[in-house]
Amino acid sequence: MKLLKKALRVRELPGILGLLLIYVGTGVVNPRFFSPSILNDILYGVAIVAILAIAQTFVIVMRHIDLSVGSVIGFTSFLIGDLSSQGFSLLAVLTVAVLVGATVGAINGFLVAYLGLPSLVVTLATLYIVRGIFNEVGAGKTVVESMVPKELNWLGLNQFFGVPYLFIIVVALMLIAGVTMHKSRAARDLYAIGSNPSAAQLVGIPVKRRILLAFVATGAVSGLAGAVMLARFSSASTQSGLGLELLVVAACVVGGVSIAGGSGSVFGAVIGAVLLQEILLAIGALGIPQFWQLAVNGALIIAAIGLDRYLSTRVKTSNIMGATS
Amino acid sequence: MAVTQEPVLEMRGAMKAFGGVQALNGADLKLFAGEIHALLGENGAGKSTLLKALAGVHKIDSGSIMLSGKPFLQGSTRAAQQQGVAVIYQEPSLFPDLTLAENVYVGRQLQKGKLVDWKQMQKEAAKLFAELGVDLDVDRIARGLSIADQQIVEIIKALSINARVIVMDEPTAALSSKEVNRLFSVARTLRDQNCAVVFVSHRLDEVFALCDKMTVMRDGTTVGSELISNISESEIIKMMVGREVSELFPKLPSTFGEVVLKVENLGSAGQFKDISFELRKGEILGFAGLVGSGRSEVVRAIFGVDTYDSGTVSVNGKLLPKGKASKAMSAGVALVPEDRRQEGLLMPNSIATNTSITVLKKLVKSLVVSKKGEDEVANKWAKILQLKYASLSDAVERLSGGNQQKIVLGKWLATDPQILIVDEPTRGIDVGTKSEVHRLLSQRAQEGLALIMVTSELPEVLGMADRILVMREGRQVAILSREEASSEKIITLATGSAELI
Repeated sequence: MKLLKKALRVRELPGILGLLLIYVGTGVVNPRFFSPSILNDILYGVAIVAILAIAQTFVIVMRHIDLSVGSVIGFTSFLIGDLSSQGFSLLAVLTVAVLVGATVGAINGFLVAYLGLPSLVVTLATLYIVRGIFNEVGAGKTVVESMVPKELNWLGLNQFFGVPYLFIIVVALMLIAGVTMHKSRAARDLYAIGSNPSAAQLVGIPVKRRILLAFVATGAVSGLAGAVMLARFSSASTQSGLGLELLVVAACVVGGVSIAGGSGSVFGAVIGAVLLQEILLAIGALGIPQFWQLAVNGALIIAAIGLDRYLSTRVKTSNIMGATS
Repeated sequence: MAVTQEPVLEMRGAMKAFGGVQALNGADLKLFAGEIHALLGENGAGKSTLLKALAGVHKIDSGSIMLSGKPFLQGSTRAAQQQGVAVIYQEPSLFPDLTLAENVYVGRQLQKGKLVDWKQMQKEAAKLFAELGVDLDVDRIARGLSIADQQIVEIIKALSINARVIVMDEPTAALSSKEVNRLFSVARTLRDQNCAVVFVSHRLDEVFALCDKMTVMRDGTTVGSELISNISESEIIKMMVGREVSELFPKLPSTFGEVVLKVENLGSAGQFKDISFELRKGEILGFAGLVGSGRSEVVRAIFGVDTYDSGTVSVNGKLLPKGKASKAMSAGVALVPEDRRQEGLLMPNSIATNTSITVLKKLVKSLVVSKKGEDEVANKWAKILQLKYASLSDAVERLSGGNQQKIVLGKWLATDPQILIVDEPTRGIDVGTKSEVHRLLSQRAQEGLALIMVTSELPEVLGMADRILVMREGRQVAILSREEASSEKIITLATGSAELI
């Protein structure tokens, strides 16, 4: 009973149940959905959004948002290909990718934390600015397969016991970020800030420094994710990563990362990303026109938020008398 | 309760001024380990400022605070906690999404190496809850906890930092009587663990039931400190008041006309009951009583922003429909609410917009609101109110509290009401502006405006009101004439002390 109570508190539970339900449901209608190749397609296709969703979780738990990640990942995936084709080493180009992401994150974080500007607007602006710079730098150029570092090409094509390496990267990052978010004081501060900003100040949490730090981390991971994007598509142009940010936010919300801050995990964010990817494939397998995919995503977001609201209001107001009886 | 040793906390001659207001004017406080110490005084006596000095929110200008014989490091809430002083406010601010265990240790989570040790944290927190005899699941999140439970979590937090001084600021104001009893037993446990507990309350019966000692403040000064067993309720009340009040606010003489407002047997379940009075033209009726006695609820019901269950309200002999503020407004009633930031003003908008918003309909020219009309209205009232501002297009959020309050008054006076209800019209504004507001209201009354003035400040109600309606726990306990009213009488009626002075 106590275990059940605990399980019901797990915010990721609805996402996991949804995941299983759609898998089984679709497979019953179309048994081909159960074939290993579908599972493989899901894991392979989800990598980019999953990594960005992990990074996005850092800021969403603080009741903030980072919309610039779509531009950042597109730009760095292009830079990695473009710079390697000019002879830079893989380590050098990955460092550039991280630095570009971290710099955008630092600008976002500074404007939000120290100037008190709303993150929605700040990162909307940097979304355009980074895309604008990208358009200028990448004008008329396209990164093609021959320009992609061979290590990345290899990563994008191969599997480890049937699991795409790209997804293994996701799992590794999820574990590192997950433990950090759960067990480091600095990351716990992010939850406190998102849950009650003014109280966070009062208990002596360095709120501004933490906000800056989280945006830098989101930016850096999103920048590095450019490598995964390049590994997956083997090409990059100024169109890369366009509109991805909203899918990322959707994945977080569906995975139980509360947009109101204070709760949710990177595990949930990955679940959310997988769920969205699964639905994409399920729609194909069920013979539903692909046009419906976006509408289904939208419905899912509303369902996720509605469920969240329902669960949080269902927590009964207890009092010390009631609790003892 | 063996009180022989050195005081754990001693404040001496504390002074603190905000602008021109001397909030603390030589306050003394001596606390001993193992005692529950009541801190008493009227609103504005300086209790809050004193508490905030102990909490590390304010730094005193001069005087000393010693903690166990060492100077107390002031001006940082974190430092105050680290030194072992914890202040628990009436409405605690927990982190709703975090578990109770993490709420207790937030910002200083227990660690094993570099990682947060959740198991240990849950164990320690559970132990502290058990010590206080409170059965709460430390794994649940704080969202949905009652105020009483939230206070308990704050107390646990204080225990977890080994607080030696635990200050509770009016903790019982929002609690049911069962919860109050629970809090009392927790407070006694803390005392037995050798903490010094400071208990701020307006309810004297609670003070007598719980406390060992008491200190009374008035006008920022400590008036006296005494063992509870050595003092009577009436002596405490005398210490709390005892000041000449009549000179502060010169009230202009006013002649009363016909009855404009008649309230009969007004009642609302769980809020107030059997409220009946009449208000005449030119008269100021004061509403006195403790915070939470139902005064605001009554005036809100009269004005129609809230509804009521029984009774009637009539203006000029005509019944007002219940729960319809627009009808009350067209009948000439206006309400200046208690919380001006939330309910009274559009903070980011201009002075002109805020002042004219109540009379917009009159300013409409060919379908749009005349900007010139707005400015004319605002200009007129800015003059009458002696508003201090740079431009009428300034956002009101940038004005001082006093000036904001003047605008709220102005916008309702602009409707040319017959009956004006003001709820705490001078809360949080400086003395100078205060007397200007009083002058303004007094003038309007002289011109025939009927006023209801809800106020928690005794000098204000004694100085301004022609008659005073005293409320206690939702009941109207008396209507006093200006001549028979006194601070002692009002406090006695409002606190329900049976003893008469």
